[in-house]
Amino acid sequence: MAIRYEIGIVDTRNIIKTLLDDFGYDFRDYALTSFKRRLEYILSLYALRDADGLIAKLKDSKDFLDQFLYDITPETTEMFRDPSFWRVLRDEIIPELVRSATSKPRIWIASFDSGEELYSLSILLKELNLLNEVNVYCNVLSEQTVQRITSGKINPKDMEVNDANYQRFNEKGKYASYYQTEGNSIMFDVSLIKDVNFIRQNTLITLDPGAPKLIIFRNQAIYYNQLLSEKIFSKLASCIVAGGYLALGVKETLENTNVSNKFTLYNEPERIYKRKNN
Amino acid sequence: MYKAVIIGGSAGSFQVITRILHALPPNYPFPVLLCLHRLKHVRSGFVEALSIKSGIPIIEPNDKEQIKPGKAYLAPANYHMFVELGNKIALSTEEPVNHSRPSIDLSFITAAQVYREKLVGIILSGANRDGAYGLKKIKDMGGLAIVQNPDECQVRTMTEASLKMTPVDFVFNTNEIIKFLQNIKA
Repeated sequence: MAIRYEIGIVDTRNIIKTLLDDFGYDFRDYALTSFKRRLEYILSLYALRDADGLIAKLKDSKDFLDQFLYDITPETTEMFRDPSFWRVLRDEIIPELVRSATSKPRIWIASFDSGEELYSLSILLKELNLLNEVNVYCNVLSEQTVQRITSGKINPKDMEVNDANYQRFNEKGKYASYYQTEGNSIMFDVSLIKDVNFIRQNTLITLDPGAPKLIIFRNQAIYYNQLLSEKIFSKLASCIVAGGYLALGVKETLENTNVSNKFTLYNEPERIYKRKNN
Repeated sequence: MYKAVIIGGSAGSFQVITRILHALPPNYPFPVLLCLHRLKHVRSGFVEALSIKSGIPIIEPNDKEQIKPGKAYLAPANYHMFVELGNKIALSTEEPVNHSRPSIDLSFITAAQVYREKLVGIILSGANRDGAYGLKKIKDMGGLAIVQNPDECQVRTMTEASLKMTPVDFVFNTNEIIKFLQNIKA
């Protein structure tokens, strides 16, 4: 993809205002630069001339609103991104969650995943033979995301990258055993995710599954400003169980946020935090 | 006069960057933003290799990190690196641009929007066209555009693409880039 369209800050704010006033979706505290980039991406996807064209299209069609919510969230673009993170999950964290559990532990993918995080997690659980021993919850912003994930056609961009990531995660495994190729499209094994609970959220993540023991929230707060990051981190901190784990992206930190005293850093390079008892 | 320096490079730029960083004094008055194409799955090693001879500390910033003078900020592996209003780093995992993540175009465009005419942009040796459009944006916003002399580059594609798109201010050899960076004033 090359860059084609650019819109200004005023236009960006007008679109944000429409989304809030007309549809109740609050993007005011999303990080401005990446949100603006995202809007430019959407303008070029639908060959829209400018911000007014986008606003008109949003007001014109409810289906397009769902499409917009789907497109505004950057795709995860890779399965098993940061293989070393998934190894820590497999070798340390998930076995501990299951071992110490009195009931099925809850794992919550709280980022707006496009399916890659969920399928990576599910493959990991399957390889541990623990698919039925945990409850998995996954946040979604648009109906189209649910359809995409449950159809198995998550179309991860670059299968070579995914395969290489997977091999770094499990050199003895066979990535190709989890999907089938049908013409030009890739169909993942949907039985991996058949028991997943999707949580349809608004932009501010107001719902939670209750007492999750592991929250995967990688590379989501990078799309928020400081204010919204701290708001959401507070929510996660208040629902996660004591001793539970919170995984951020490898270049994100809770340092200098309002929840830094509620977590200890469990694994520095993978940015996995552990909830304290306070 | 200036507030920041941003440098983009790809194949053949490592030694040039090393020489530039080596020549900068410890209290250099600007932040130096570095967007260099790199292996996406290798997270560690690069910043360490660049640091060995660098005159200023090099950081692979976390998201939302404050940008300060006297430091170099290297775009982390597999993330785009933006400059956000408020002089902060913002990272993104959105799709690669010009087959690249980090993309030099994106770093340059976002830096141009924040620093405007107070930005120096430099394109070094490289094997694709990433950065050419970003350098144009820096020039369009009133900033200063420099391209490494293609004759000196190990791979000339990136510098030639930049020269084609933008009437740059200077075409410099590495020595001249160094001298220039040592002499510009805040």
